[in-house]
Amino acid sequence: MTQPALQVKDLKTQFFTDDGVVQAVDGVSFDLHPGETLGIVGESGCGKSVTALSILRLVQEPGRIVNGQILFKGDDIVTMSDEEVREIRGKDIAMIFQDPLSSLNPVLTVGFQIEEAIEAHGKVPGKMALSRAVALLKQVRIPAAESRVHDYPHQFSGGMRQRAMIAMGLANSPSILIADEPTTALDVTVQAQILELLRDLNRDLKTAIILITHNMGVVASLCTRVLVMYAGRIVEQGPVEQIFKDPQHPYTWSLLQSIPRLDSDRHDRLLSIEGFPPDLIRPPRGCRFHPRCQFKIDRCLHDDPPLLNVGPDQDAACWVTMRRALASNGERRG
Amino acid sequence: MATAPGITEKYIEETLAHEQTSLWGDAWRRLRRNRLALVSTVFLTLLTLVAIIAQFWTPYSYFTQGLGPIYQGPTAQHWLGLDQSGRDILSRLMLGAQVSLKVGIGTQLVVIVVGVIIGLVAGFYRGFLDTIISTVINIFYGIPDLLVALTLVLLLGRSLAIIIFAIAFTQWMNMARLVRGQTLALREREFVEAARSGGAKASKIIFRHILPNALGPLIVQATIGIPMAILFEAFLSFLGLGVPPPTPSWGAMAADGFHAIRISPHIVLAPAIALSLTLMAFNFLGDGLRDALDPRQKR
Repeated sequence: MTQPALQVKDLKTQFFTDDGVVQAVDGVSFDLHPGETLGIVGESGCGKSVTALSILRLVQEPGRIVNGQILFKGDDIVTMSDEEVREIRGKDIAMIFQDPLSSLNPVLTVGFQIEEAIEAHGKVPGKMALSRAVALLKQVRIPAAESRVHDYPHQFSGGMRQRAMIAMGLANSPSILIADEPTTALDVTVQAQILELLRDLNRDLKTAIILITHNMGVVASLCTRVLVMYAGRIVEQGPVEQIFKDPQHPYTWSLLQSIPRLDSDRHDRLLSIEGFPPDLIRPPRGCRFHPRCQFKIDRCLHDDPPLLNVGPDQDAACWVTMRRALASNGERRG
Repeated sequence: MATAPGITEKYIEETLAHEQTSLWGDAWRRLRRNRLALVSTVFLTLLTLVAIIAQFWTPYSYFTQGLGPIYQGPTAQHWLGLDQSGRDILSRLMLGAQVSLKVGIGTQLVVIVVGVIIGLVAGFYRGFLDTIISTVINIFYGIPDLLVALTLVLLLGRSLAIIIFAIAFTQWMNMARLVRGQTLALREREFVEAARSGGAKASKIIFRHILPNALGPLIVQATIGIPMAILFEAFLSFLGLGVPPPTPSWGAMAADGFHAIRISPHIVLAPAIALSLTLMAFNFLGDGLRDALDPRQKR
């Protein structure tokens, strides 16, 4: 196997608030291989965005990375100097955000902001920066890029703004692109276009992509591997096809059950997961999902399940696993 | 790109190439629609011209006494009459405009430099630095302006530069507090985070992303600060602590005329009206700018 492009080991990021310590990310480990597309899914507040921000050390006070390593090209991002991290940001690892309108500075032209992203890592003559900005806009398929480069963000449509953000992300040909909910603020047809663009960029430029989303459908259309996060931890991971076909963690299973399907009987009620994600200041004892889990056994109440191998390349943190849960359910029914 | 027949590249280009409307273009368009602000702009432009002309030419010398009978009212030779020493009031009024504008604009320049730097630092770095700066700002708010200004003028002397410095000393915290607040809000905005994620340096983030977005409220604050400074200077001059004579200041002229308000009100009226109009113009312009620069008011 090739050397991973990025290795996250036992990452813990906590927020020190007046109410207590929020364990937003609690012992997350994963590898990202060069050119891979990795999805991180979970509900709001499960720690997926904080994981992404931690990778570039963008977590702001009162948040802090308290434990773990983030290895990039053999160096640990967690212990680097601020200047060293700044050099990596945008150059080796770029990030795009959820809302492209608020991620673009309203008083500067789109082209200027792309040029700035280029110049953040070394001086480039103005003419060259401009032609590079135009080339980038063309690469993300913005029509009439030569004139559009001088437009302000409010003159762009939602989809074009996200394309411009991606162009900024690609400005220094990073080896890793982190996309934090890149399609959530866009309507469905534009979503599909943006995902197609990301897929093409991954194929043509071999940029590894970490896609953060709460939408299983988005993961399915772009990623080869997926991490499912719940309450600051990875509860299941594996190849996308495997996870979709044969999820082992009850949380993953519930997430997949709650996707509306075209082929389902229209009288079937859409499944939703009961309850709310837990309070991360005082997470539940045992398995963090147990209060919402319909398959829990006694052991789940006080024993925290580790991430265990449950199939080829597939790990799940569950004492029961869906295989056994469904089997015993079948027995009961039968 | 595959296009439908009849739709040429050129057609697409033309459809897409629309009017370039920038934030400032929009603001200017909205300002022009505000009649009071527009009239104020014209008035202030004329006032500035008068002040510049006064540097090279006035109808009479501003300090020559006994140009005619003292306390003489308006005549064909002296449009605004003569004062208690027989000096031409129009000439003195023109030069007084210079003093007022110098004080108003000079003070705001000092206030902008000091207030913006302090506000940006406090808002961007937060923490201990912000606590200290905020405390100092609050202490300054607690001290009476007049006391501070009078003390400074008495200690350092009566020159234009010192008066500007003294007034700025009583005004900088307004700007610092405004900029601090703006910075605190802007630093949390996503485009700042996006810039940071792209590896932008702190100085780039502060001056490219935060300051330009705070410029609107900053300009409004400075415009509102100008009449405050002008009034303060007039007040100091009225008390006899303004720019040293014979340099005419509207406040000093009003003070001179005040003694003879019963017999020849024109001496006090001329500078008082000039002062009022100028203050009103700046305030209307500030109001107009506030509306024009508010991006939520897209009309």
